[in-house]
Amino acid sequence: MILKDGRIVAFILLFGSFVLYYLFTRMMEQGKAFKIRTLAPLEALPEAVGRCAEMGKPIFYMPGIGSSLSLSSGAYILAGITILGRLAGFAAKAGVKLRLFTVTIDAMPLIQDTIKTAYAVEGKVEEYSDDNIELIANQSSLVSRYLGAVQRESPAAACLIGYLAYESVVLSEAGNIVGAMQISGTVNLYQIPFLVASTDYTLIMEELFAAAAAVSGDAGAVGPIAAEDVIKFASLGIMILGMVLAPLGITFLVDLLGL
Amino acid sequence: MFAVIIADYFFAIASLGSVAEVLRQFAVVISNIALGLGVISLLRIHGRNVQRRLEGRWLYSIVTIITFVSVFLLGIINTNGDQYTWAFNHVYTTLQQTMYASTGFFIVSSAYRAFRARNIDAGLLLIAGCIVVFTNAPIGEVIWSGFPVIGDWLLGPGQLPGYRVLMMIAGFGTIVYAYRVITGNERGFFGGGE
Repeated sequence: MILKDGRIVAFILLFGSFVLYYLFTRMMEQGKAFKIRTLAPLEALPEAVGRCAEMGKPIFYMPGIGSSLSLSSGAYILAGITILGRLAGFAAKAGVKLRLFTVTIDAMPLIQDTIKTAYAVEGKVEEYSDDNIELIANQSSLVSRYLGAVQRESPAAACLIGYLAYESVVLSEAGNIVGAMQISGTVNLYQIPFLVASTDYTLIMEELFAAAAAVSGDAGAVGPIAAEDVIKFASLGIMILGMVLAPLGITFLVDLLGL
Repeated sequence: MFAVIIADYFFAIASLGSVAEVLRQFAVVISNIALGLGVISLLRIHGRNVQRRLEGRWLYSIVTIITFVSVFLLGIINTNGDQYTWAFNHVYTTLQQTMYASTGFFIVSSAYRAFRARNIDAGLLLIAGCIVVFTNAPIGEVIWSGFPVIGDWLLGPGQLPGYRVLMMIAGFGTIVYAYRVITGNERGFFGGGE
């Protein structure tokens, strides 16, 4: 057998998913409109920037920890950087100082380019400064630096969007102490309860990817998100079927999925 | 290249496996090159802070650079040496654990604000949270022997369905993101912006 045991159905499902992503992308390119539902955290970005503009205070951004090349955190950090581009555009337009804190040293050129491009699009490239982007050596140092910066600079808003670990509760509480409006988002399941409790808006799990797709807005980004909804419904159907069959002692579905 | 890696996971073809193994080694080398690039960025940024005497930061940048160079040299000499081990165990780990320990206080602060019975959902969360606290605190079992039973159920079968659903959804999202990166539709990855 050319396919490895136990991975036949997984291969079929993955290949089928890719075909579905491609089809939905093509449908969108040909005019079919798929819209990502309104994501409150994304809609709150201009509100956060507006608050900073009114109060004359900066907005803080932290795109998560880890490496952009890592399997566990890379995709989420890059999604956070995509959303950063949208926020940087709003900040440039409103004349709000955007302060960024990161430990992702390998994504530093990407972060700088993202913000600089956003400022250039708004025609305010002269207001861009590398001094507003702080590269910190590691996670715990980031916590310490961020806490101090929040206390000294009192941002009116803060965004913690990316791959977050234990620092999520510390950084979000630091923002609450100074009364900042906070928008967060992560895929780290263990940190989501802390973020939901401590921040005003939270992107939960794959909403982070949907938000990154909504920011770009093009067919290649939104189409697969729409296809993913179809896959979710199909998975839900399989789960319900399994729930019905399992108590009856019928195991064909389990056996089939285990091929 | 992506197709080879994905195909190696599913197909039992010996030659494919060896090619995929080489590509994985490429990935390790490339990520380490990226790490080197990051080190250069780190030194460049902090060196510029020192050179420009950036207010409020240049002293910390000096500390960063000195620490980096010191540990780097110790590591170059011998990563199993006493000095390197001491620097890791008695400086880095200690400081890291100190910051990690502060998390508990912030969790209490967050819980104080979040655990309020404003509505039914919040009330249920409050009750569940109290039960789990009593489960983990030794005095809980002294107060009532049922706390550990209910708490263990909440921490196990009670939350497992929701946990698995969220993990599945995250998996779907990751696959979509990987597809977008592979097909070049995720332009942010390449620094192209919108």
